[in-house]
Amino acid sequence: MNSSEWVFPIVQSLHFIGFALSIGTIAMVDLRLLGVGMLRQSAADLAADLEPWTRLGIVIMLTTGPLMFSTDAVAYHFNPSFQFKMTCLALALLLHFTVHRRAVRPGISPLAAKGAAVISLVLWSLVVAGGRMIAFI
Amino acid sequence: MTNPSVLEWIESTRLSIAIREGGLPYPIIGGIHLLSIALFGGALLITDLRLLGLVMAQRRFSDLWYQFRPWKRLGFVTITATGLLLAWAEPVRLYGSPSFWVKMSLFALVGVHARVFRAGVYGHPEKQDAGISSQAKLAAVLSLVLWAGMVLAGRLIAYDASFEPTGN
Repeated sequence: MNSSEWVFPIVQSLHFIGFALSIGTIAMVDLRLLGVGMLRQSAADLAADLEPWTRLGIVIMLTTGPLMFSTDAVAYHFNPSFQFKMTCLALALLLHFTVHRRAVRPGISPLAAKGAAVISLVLWSLVVAGGRMIAFI
Repeated sequence: MTNPSVLEWIESTRLSIAIREGGLPYPIIGGIHLLSIALFGGALLITDLRLLGLVMAQRRFSDLWYQFRPWKRLGFVTITATGLLLAWAEPVRLYGSPSFWVKMSLFALVGVHARVFRAGVYGHPEKQDAGISSQAKLAAVLSLVLWAGMVLAGRLIAYDASFEPTGN
């Protein structure tokens, strides 16, 4: 990947599209859980409909991300923004595949569902923000 | 290429200097730009994929359209606002960046796209509820191509030879 000046920005663009797909669809479910949008179907239905695309986005992210990491692994490893991003990413993925899946089920307390949505939005935002900071710190 | 004096004036404004040389403001505005891409892009992808019958096919298109549109609009406004601030910080460099002009040309085409398909697709989403027209499918494909192109061109700005960003 280091051999061509075109490859890195192309992989990076795919990374952007991957996170738009994954984080974008997760945010839609979060907004539904918060009761501020997507109200024409239940959170469970919305989450079930969007989940394949969320996962495709996650797969794209987790493919293009390590590719970019591999171009300068040592520098990334010691970059504080990168470490912060990876911590938030691990927590966000863990939340998504555990708490978040339960939060969309019918019968869950609205307060718990909203709490899960807020934590999800904050964690994913920190992943993006941490990613942006890598080039600066 | 000579720089129009208006660009040099923009760079001399306090706002421009504050974003460009202030340290944190540039990546923070860039971060909000990216988060807006996630919000807008997510809503756009789902809307376009629905037109192609690939997501939520059992739900009416108009149902989806009216639910996602406010978030698409919010994302569009914040992308544009943060984009303007980022451009305000470095207008001379962007003026000399071919990728920036590709990105802006694609942005103009997005406007053309919206206008061309308003009558047949976006202005009357209920028309697609009985079955997605081939015009609507074409609109979806073109929309995906245009926005993917904007992401790529935007990313390439940082790699243009004339551009020396503080970060990538």
